[in-house]
Amino acid sequence: MRIDDHPILGKAERGRSITLTVDGSPVEAFEGEPIAVALMASGHRVFRYTTKQKGPRGVFCALGRCTDCIMIVDGQANVRTCVTPARDGMVIEKQFGRGPREEKG
Amino acid sequence: MKVDDLIICRCEEVTEGEIKEAIRLGLTTMSEVKWLTRAGMGLCQGKTCGRLVMSILVRETNQPPDEVKPPTFRPPTRVMALGALANGEKETE
Repeated sequence: MRIDDHPILGKAERGRSITLTVDGSPVEAFEGEPIAVALMASGHRVFRYTTKQKGPRGVFCALGRCTDCIMIVDGQANVRTCVTPARDGMVIEKQFGRGPREEKG
Repeated sequence: MKVDDLIICRCEEVTEGEIKEAIRLGLTTMSEVKWLTRAGMGLCQGKTCGRLVMSILVRETNQPPDEVKPPTFRPPTRVMALGALANGEKETE
């Protein structure tokens, strides 16, 4: 769900339509909006799994402080998706602990 | 779920029970609790859990809040790549 007309912020100004690749699947987004917005709008809720307890995490603070929404963006781990603008063709992957899912096991 | 199982430091997954145990061992400052439990040592550098750890310290040690020694704050204040510091590049955000 997206908010098109906000009672305080007004009408949404959006960039052109672009496509991200999230864990191998295409996700429609608007250029310049935070990656997390495109993920939430397309039904993604789990952005990563934690290091110790392997628990699922997603958006928590949504303003770049808490680092709960970090994912692997274009091969770079620990990217805060709530404050990183979406660009066409970005490759985004779930993060497992501090990096990609380990192949073994 | 027990209170002691609640995660206080979300980055390093440190529970209230682990922080209480550290205090039971005799630690009385934010830095000491951080060194032992890693609460506040993760990616967000204590921005989320700092106040919670402080409140647990106040409660468990009966110190007045303004007498609990705060942790050491050092730059950078926001998450950034070491490469950006080393090369003087603009932070990408």
